[in-house]
Formats: sequence, C-alpha cells, structure tokens
Amino acid sequence: MLVQENLYLTRSATDGQGGQQFLYKVNQYGISAISRPQEEISQIHWDVEVIKYHETKTIKFDICHDTQLAEKTLTFYNDTSLNEFLEKAFEYFNELSTLNDMIAKNE
Amino acid sequence: MSNLNAQEEGKSADWVPAGDMQEEISLEEMLKLPRETIFMTGSEAARESIRRANVDMAIAYPITPQSETMQQAGYLYDEGYIKDYYRAEEEIGAFSAISGASRAGVRSLTATSGPGLMRGMEAISSWPGARTPIVMLDMCRVINTPLAIQPDNIEISFLLDTGMLVLHGENQQDFYDFPLAAFMVSEEVDVTLPCTVAVDGFFVTHARGNVSIVDRKYKLPARDGWKSAVPAMDNENPPARLSRDAPIQKSNFISYHMHSSWQQEVFSAVERSAKYFDKYLGGLIEVVNPGADEMIIASGAAVSQAREAVRQEGEKGNKVGLIKVKTIRPWPRQQIIDAAKHAKTILVPEFNHAGWLHKEVCTTLYGHSEATIYNGPRVFGGMTMPTEMILDWLAEIRNKTGSKNLFV
Repeated sequence: MLVQENLYLTRSATDGQGGQQFLYKVNQYGISAISRPQEEISQIHWDVEVIKYHETKTIKFDICHDTQLAEKTLTFYNDTSLNEFLEKAFEYFNELSTLNDMIAKNE
Repeated sequence: MSNLNAQEEGKSADWVPAGDMQEEISLEEMLKLPRETIFMTGSEAARESIRRANVDMAIAYPITPQSETMQQAGYLYDEGYIKDYYRAEEEIGAFSAISGASRAGVRSLTATSGPGLMRGMEAISSWPGARTPIVMLDMCRVINTPLAIQPDNIEISFLLDTGMLVLHGENQQDFYDFPLAAFMVSEEVDVTLPCTVAVDGFFVTHARGNVSIVDRKYKLPARDGWKSAVPAMDNENPPARLSRDAPIQKSNFISYHMHSSWQQEVFSAVERSAKYFDKYLGGLIEVVNPGADEMIIASGAAVSQAREAVRQEGEKGNKVGLIKVKTIRPWPRQQIIDAAKHAKTILVPEFNHAGWLHKEVCTTLYGHSEATIYNGPRVFGGMTMPTEMILDWLAEIRNKTGSKNLFV
C-alpha cells in the first residue's frame, strides 16, 4: 500500500483507460502515480510524474520534467520502491519550497 | 481438497486443508470485523472473497479475462480453501456440471467472460428454475464482432430475464464484498437462486485498487443443502421421476400451468432477495448528492468515471448527483424512483452498445419523473470513457448545443 502522507486525492484514472490515480501534494509540487490495467498481471506498474499544481480552487496541474527528481515519466514495478521515491520527493519538495520562499524574500 | 485425493496430488499424510482451520462466522458478524486495506487486483480481491466463502466445489473453463481469477482460485484449491475444483471441457460442460454440484447441496462457484457466458447460456437459463444457488463470477468483455477482449458489458443484458440474481460491481472492493453477499443471499430458503457477480473485465480484474478485507481465519457458514426451496438431490439415488414426470414434459394444459406458476415463483424469489442484499450491501443503490437536478445513473466501472465527473463538477460549484446501481436483479425500482424524483436531467453512461441500463431506467421512471433521460454517453467494444466525455455531455445539455438531444 502506498504512503498516505500528503495524499491529496485518489480517483479513477480520468482518461478512461482504467486504473487508479494517486495525487500527492506538498506545497505547489506533487506526484501523480497511476496504476493501470495490464493484460499480463505481472506487468502492472506505476507510471509516475512530478507535477506542479496551478494556484486554482480546482485540481489542475502540469507535468513537470525540469526538477532534479525526474526529467521523464518514471516507472516503478512495486509499491516499496515507489514509497521510497515518495519519501525522497516529499523532502525535495519541502526544500524546494523553502528555497523559493528565500528567493521571494530577497526579491 | 479432501485428504483422500490430497495425497494423490503430492500432499503429505498429515496435511490439513487450510479451510478446515478457519472459523465459521455469519456474514453479519464478518461485516463488523476490522479490515486491513491492501492494494490488489480485482482477481486477487475475488480470490480473497472466495477464500472466506467456504466454497465446496468450483468448476470453470478458462477465458480471458476470467482466467486470471480462476487461476487464483486454483491456488486456493491447492491450499485447501476450496474442497474440489476442476477445469471443465468448455462452458456448456462447466455450467451443467456446476448445476449438478449445486443440486447435490454443496456451495458451488463458477466463472466466465463474454463469449463463454454466451456459449453456456442454455445451461445457465436452466439454473433459476432448477433453484440452484450457484454463484457465477462474470468478468464482462466484448462478445460481438469485431471480436475483442476489452471491457464491454452487453452480456449482462442476456441475463436480465433468466431469473438469476445479477449484481454489477464497480471496482475491486465490490469484487471482494459482492461474492460473499451473493453466496449468502442465493442460499436463503426463500430465495434459492443462482447469482451472477459481474464486473467490467480488465478495469477491475487486471487493475489494482484498494480493497479492505477481514482476517483470513474467518469463513462463512457451510451451505446446508436441505435448507432450500428445493432440497438437495441424493446423487447416489437420483430421483428419476423428476425428469420423467409427464405433466412437465408433455405439452398440455397442466404443463403450461406448472411452467407459469414455477416461473412466477422464480421471479418472486428474485424480489424476495432484495431485503437480504439491502442488509449485506448497505442498500441496493448508493446515492451521491441526493436531490440534485442533474443526476447520473450508472452501474459497474461507469460509476467510477461518473464519481470523478461529479467531483470535478463539485469543484466548479455544480451539484451533480450519482445513483450507483448495485443490484441489477433484483432491480431497485422504488429506490431509483425515490432517488431520481427531483432530477430534471438524467445521464446513463454505459459500457455497451445496447444501453440496457438506460432502458431499465426509462421503464422505471416512466410516469414517475419529469426528467429528460439522456441515452448515454455510451462506449463499447473496448472504447474508453474519459471523465471529460461525461462532463461534455453535461455541458452540452446545459448549453443546449451539440447533438446530444438526438439521443433522448
């Protein structure tokens, strides 16, 4: 089971191809993890994106390939490895947020 | 697996079937137990349900996407949670054989998908009249040409008038909860009917979702074959008269009356099952945002897409309601009338060409609702139903644009 910390929304994958999407949020950044149906069960995996949320009331975000965490869609084949990544990502997002705040104050 | 054939299959002499070490508790008690949530496939969820269902006999013939689930059931047989299990020659054989098992008074399980269900329809059609409380897991897939193995639930329309109980699960959780309820309800004395637990193949069976399950040390009470509308048959001394009884076999006024009253009793039993499903499933329907002007009525995987559409509309400040239909047979007629009576617009999203749910909803609400009931959105043959499709329909109906009014 995936970590519940910072879990923002769990929903059916909106593209209609089946599967579940888990959205995590730490400040402005987050993680989208989608587990889709596969004809071979053993091929079920997580498609993971680093995302950046819009500052809107509705849940909107862009895929973010310009952080040090990931420059492409990541693939994880089990929950354990994804959970490890999530923990590191949460730390990274918190640090990023602190840096952004510092830059904003200096400006 | 009995100890007798266990040794033939390589088990040690002191092997004890895992099912023998489980504690029997009622479903009412099981529903109150604490649960652990695990992210698992629908096939694994069905396996965990079967593990706790005290199944005596499972017979099936493999077909995609059902094969994965029955492979999981095979593991249960190996562990000793299912007492006997074999792969039949094909579906007519599988469904005839499981009927024999059920008539003999044991808890019986089978499973199929799309074309397999169609092949076995002759045998399936005989189950309700024979009052065999078989549970059939149906992982829906395309049956019509061009053939595909993708999700499409048109096959449910073929079961609606058989006299079977029919449940339609939304997700992996339902594929754990519904079979347990199906076994208990189908074996109630005043029901004694077969029950299909349908889910949309692949979306449920071959995808993972959160499933909350109770400890595997518990199982349902065993079936008592004598406690049913038609007592169990002694297969060592079969009642030969049953199939030779002239009034049943010959076409005369007695046979017509017998058939008529027999079928009336079957369909009355379907209605009587409602009170049990209501208890075990927490209602025959689930209503989100009751009283909304715009309602979506859906079953199966279409419910999940509708939930997200409802959530996104909520973000925008629009209250859209959702009625999830859990039991297709018994059909929750009055519940749907009550839940939809305020609606002005109703959408019925479905994963099939026939629109069988739309027809049921129209028949139910005729004369009871002022709502415009839109015939869709529908996808079939394995097409996807993105959330945007439902949102687009809502937007076009509100703005009176597009061609959606043509489908009313």
